[in-house]
Amino acid sequence: MIDRTKQLVLMVLPAPVLLFADGAMAAAAEDSPGLFTGNLGNIIWTLITFLAVVFVLGKFAWGPILRALQKREEFIGDSLRQAKEDREQAQAQLKEYTEQLDKARADASAIVDEGRRDAEVVKRRISNEARAEADAMLERAKREIATARDSAVKELYQLTAKLSTEVAARVIRAELDSKAHERLIEESIEELARLRESRDN
Amino acid sequence: MTGLLGAGSSPLDHVVQWEYVQRGGLTLLSNQIAMQILAAVLLILLFPRLVRLASTGDTVRDLTPRGFGNFIETICNYLRNEVARPALERHTDRFIPYIWSAFFYVLFCNLLGLLPLEPLTRPLVRAIFPHAHHGIGGSATGNIWVTGTLASCTMVMIVFNGLRIGGVRYLAHFCPGPLWLAPLLVPVEIIGLVAKIFALCVRLFANMVAGHVLLAVLLSFIFVVGAESFAGGLGVGVLVVSVSVAFYMLEIFVAFLQAFIFTFLTTLFIGQAIVLHHSDHEGDHGRAKAAHE
Repeated sequence: MIDRTKQLVLMVLPAPVLLFADGAMAAAAEDSPGLFTGNLGNIIWTLITFLAVVFVLGKFAWGPILRALQKREEFIGDSLRQAKEDREQAQAQLKEYTEQLDKARADASAIVDEGRRDAEVVKRRISNEARAEADAMLERAKREIATARDSAVKELYQLTAKLSTEVAARVIRAELDSKAHERLIEESIEELARLRESRDN
Repeated sequence: MTGLLGAGSSPLDHVVQWEYVQRGGLTLLSNQIAMQILAAVLLILLFPRLVRLASTGDTVRDLTPRGFGNFIETICNYLRNEVARPALERHTDRFIPYIWSAFFYVLFCNLLGLLPLEPLTRPLVRAIFPHAHHGIGGSATGNIWVTGTLASCTMVMIVFNGLRIGGVRYLAHFCPGPLWLAPLLVPVEIIGLVAKIFALCVRLFANMVAGHVLLAVLLSFIFVVGAESFAGGLGVGVLVVSVSVAFYMLEIFVAFLQAFIFTFLTTLFIGQAIVLHHSDHEGDHGRAKAAHE
């Protein structure tokens, strides 16, 4: 209430000051009109000019401005909303792609690991097989060598026995029947085999 | 101005109304009425041209502020967002054309009053109206009948829209206390409403008159001293003219400021009448008080 009183006083205060000034000035210059000169004519002209401004500008100036402002507001709002949506979508996509990329990377390294493991297995298998084959070949070669040596030795015994027999027959000129002949050969071979074993050992 | 002062006229001469045509007690034409008409004609001719922009077919370009219309639009946008929206809320766009009109009408009347048109137009006026003493010039808003009419338009807007939009709640607003206090409160509230309008009228009038009178008094010193000695008049003249230039700058500022205050308070009062919140009563008064101070 005090504020209202203050307000009233402040509003009314200038009026007497102006009235006083008006009176003083009017007294100073008799033919000058007063400060508050005016009448209904001023009211009518004010209404005419002001309302003309209100209606004409309302129709031809404020309308376009207001529409432009509203449209711009709407456009900016929409653009911001759209930008926000786009950003959120982009972030979601980025997240998705990052996950996919991580997954792909993990898959790739898994594939490489698996390949390496497989290669390791294959390498080991091939190496084992090669070694086994080599061993088998070696074994076979040894066996063949042994067989060849045995047969060669045997052949040598036989040849030796035959030569010995011929030499002996020729030397002693004695006639030997075929049975005794065979027994003599067997004895000679056994004798040679014993000799070989004793030499090997 | 200086011519008149030199002739020993009153400093009030260029703020008062000089009648050209009068019929049956009605002033049909005067210097201030001519300025009002000039302001209205300028507004009506210039503004629709300035704000209209040719469509370029590009949505973004059409919505981009450009051209001189952008200057008007910036002021309009400020009034709409910073003045009207806080007071009128969802009713903003309904009243904004009136608010913009009030602002630019008052502003043009204020600014045109600063132009030294009077000495230039005096021969023309004298040629048309041989009995005229004064050329066209002066602030139309320096006439209390004009500011009173403008303030009354605000009151009509307040009461009419208060009843139309606020309805019963607007009427209830006249008796904010218990019902038995109504005989006391209702007159106080009505006086309050009238006082607000009266203040609106006097504030604009007094501000417009005061600046012009101050300038006239300052400039009259030159002639007062000059009548005694030429050198003294010259010395005082240099001082007074430099001070007057500064005051003129202040006057330009005051022209904008008073147009803004008139518009701001009009908006605020309309807002108080139509945006009725139960708890916001004090807040509105707080804002009104802040505006007064």
